Amino acid sequence: MNALKQPKQNALSKIWSQYSFIFVLIAIFIVYAITSTKLTWSGVMNIFRHSAVIGILALGMGMICLTGEIDLSVGSMMAIVAGLSVVIYNMSGSILLTLVCALLMGAAFGIVNGLLVGVVEMPAFIVTLATMLIYRSIAQYLCQHLPKNLIGGGSSVYKMDSGIASYQTFYNFGNGKVATIPVVGIILILMTILFVYISTSTKFGKKVYAIGSNQKAAAMAGINVSLIKMVVFVIAGVLVGLGAFLWIAMNASADPATTGNSYEMYAIASVVLGGISMSGGKGKCLGILFGAMSYTIIDKIIVALKMDSLINDAIKGVILIVVILIQVAGPKLKEKFGR
Amino acid sequence: MKLLEMRGIEKSFGGVPVLKGVSLTVEKGEVHALLGENGAGKSTLMNVLTGVHPRDGGTIWFDGQNYDTMTIRESERLGIAFVHQELNLFNDLKVYENIFLTHEYTTKFGALDKKRMKQEAADLFRQLGVEIDPDELVANLKTSQKQLLEIAKALFFQAKLLILDEPTTSLNNAEIDHLFGILRKLKEKGTSFIFISHKMPEIFDLADRYTVFRNGTYIADGNIADTTPEKITELMVGHSANAGELYQQREVGETVLKLTGLTGEGFHHIDLEVKKGQIIGLTGLQGSGSSELMQGIFGTTPVHSGSVEAFGKKVPANSIHKAMRSKIAMLANNRKENSVVPDMNLLENMYLAEHTLSATKFHIQKGKEQERFHRYQKLLNIKAQTSADGITSLSGGNQQKVFIARWLNTQAEILLLDNPTQGIDVGAKEEIYALILELAKDGKTILINTLEIPEIQKVADYCAVFYEGTIVKILSHSEINEKTVMLYSTGSGINEKEKVV
Repeated sequence: MNALKQPKQNALSKIWSQYSFIFVLIAIFIVYAITSTKLTWSGVMNIFRHSAVIGILALGMGMICLTGEIDLSVGSMMAIVAGLSVVIYNMSGSILLTLVCALLMGAAFGIVNGLLVGVVEMPAFIVTLATMLIYRSIAQYLCQHLPKNLIGGGSSVYKMDSGIASYQTFYNFGNGKVATIPVVGIILILMTILFVYISTSTKFGKKVYAIGSNQKAAAMAGINVSLIKMVVFVIAGVLVGLGAFLWIAMNASADPATTGNSYEMYAIASVVLGGISMSGGKGKCLGILFGAMSYTIIDKIIVALKMDSLINDAIKGVILIVVILIQVAGPKLKEKFGR
Repeated sequence: MKLLEMRGIEKSFGGVPVLKGVSLTVEKGEVHALLGENGAGKSTLMNVLTGVHPRDGGTIWFDGQNYDTMTIRESERLGIAFVHQELNLFNDLKVYENIFLTHEYTTKFGALDKKRMKQEAADLFRQLGVEIDPDELVANLKTSQKQLLEIAKALFFQAKLLILDEPTTSLNNAEIDHLFGILRKLKEKGTSFIFISHKMPEIFDLADRYTVFRNGTYIADGNIADTTPEKITELMVGHSANAGELYQQREVGETVLKLTGLTGEGFHHIDLEVKKGQIIGLTGLQGSGSSELMQGIFGTTPVHSGSVEAFGKKVPANSIHKAMRSKIAMLANNRKENSVVPDMNLLENMYLAEHTLSATKFHIQKGKEQERFHRYQKLLNIKAQTSADGITSLSGGNQQKVFIARWLNTQAEILLLDNPTQGIDVGAKEEIYALILELAKDGKTILINTLEIPEIQKVADYCAVFYEGTIVKILSHSEINEKTVMLYSTGSGINEKEKVV
């Protein structure tokens, strides 16, 4: 009897340890379904919409975390890229050019982080802490000192000029739906699929895991650790560019003081909730999507319960601790009291 | 007069006996050389003496008193000090702080009495003739000064018996002379030393008496004056039999690897030519440069001058990737640190290195990789259920086979094997030897670095013996035996320098 039961238990605990993010999402969703008075399809689809920017940032953060590094600058980076993208849009009136420039700017800021961390081998925490301060400060400074017409006439926010011919198209792209699913949500899902592919089925992806798992052994196997780390930071930068582009498409503006504020923390939290180890080498990119959505649903629960939104972060923090506590303490408890 | 008498000491680890009733006697005011090969039980005995490991049996008399149990604290109180090979100093603290750590002097208000500590440290250094500033950071000291500081620290607390574990490995000749001068002075004052070293000239220079261990048993003791390096080496090595039964002569091709005047971190002026299909054993004492040479060829440690040529083309220095492109592979030593990617399965651990050569083909073709894995699994007899098993679930020997597969998979022709049987049980070792010979037969060129001479005897066509960073002798297969190798690697037979294959 016991012999039969054992493998079944193992399989279940294996699924739990590898896909705990699914259970977390389901649990949170159930709470949401109960608390919200009328659960609608469009309400559920809204979760995708509100997860899009954080989710895309978190994918980049996930790749960085897999190498065992960290990027604290993504929130600030998004503020500056979003702001400058608004400026470029106001100057050119071209959506495509704005997208390209947003991605390139993200890549450029990512290269700064990547060079210092990957090539110069400075600690990522320090480097990105510094660039976090730098990027946001420049975003705020430029907003005050650029000609007013470039920032859409506002005084402390970058506003897209509603007089431009493509303005409505752009805004509709950010807020539109395809078959009842928000466009930005679809982009998040496509990006997740792309990164699941990169991390599981490409040589580059495996090198990222190898570096996080044992950097020395990875180097001894011929992997160019500096280059891969650099590339990972650039990828994260490009994703910040994409996130910034979606942000201005959705909001038609970017506030350098608040846009992307604390997003690095939410991105890290999504990554951890998604089961990726902060010391690197372990975890699934799929989990990031679930992690990001879990956090969005928490927002919605708080709205549904008509609670003060200031309590938001407290609840998110507690959930993070509880989930990680189960992951860390669970096996220890099992060892102590188990069988 | 006897200071220390250890009789019939026994110690096992997990049922495996490491010390089988060994004895050691040290007189007051003598330097006693403790001799034996790696794994003979020297360190274990010292750990028993200093109370790091409790003993299973035997008696310890120190200064005429019997000690039933020995603890670290007790041995410290008695004045037994162990100066380890890896220095136990705190680099970020100052010299005097290191000496007085946990024994600090304080003023009556509880603050540290720095002035008194510095003064006493300076006095001690003056007595010893050591030039160290007590106020200097330890990180800024030379290795020789650190060694002297360790000894000074022990003496400060009135050590009667100092255990010196290979104290000269990182010192140059002038520094060694200085150290020995100090040791002689202390000896005259009545301090005793247990001196662990592999270098025969030093032993015959400094030691008064010796004790030889082999495989955890006591072999002999006596006066240094009554013996010779040859006799001691024979005692250390014993008469090991049945080596070389796997070995057979092979056809070799033309030169594929040529080192000319190669000089780098830890090795210098290496000239070596290796022919296709040859197996060359590299050996020497720990730190003599054989492992460093391999790392230099593979680009993991800096090369300063000289050249490496593989298949007639120069191999660019200091780049692992370029060495791999030149069809060179290195199975690194210390498997856990340098080879194992713990979060990856067997398949991933295998294909990782090859993927750096084929990085432009982005997508991983799982079917193809799987096929390759099965081929190597069969070839190398890797005992695993599926390629999806975690690497850490395998035994050391099977892990090592996965890493051999990792490198064969890169189509490398020149294999550098750095201590390939480290931490592998005896049966698996034999398998690895057979495998090495098989690979050479198929035309792979192999360099194998190991401290274990029987290993070299089993597989190598030639053996290059290292002493202090360079090759002092190349022995042909029939000349390889433990005694000869030991003789050269301890610097005893250096008058006839030869460097040819």
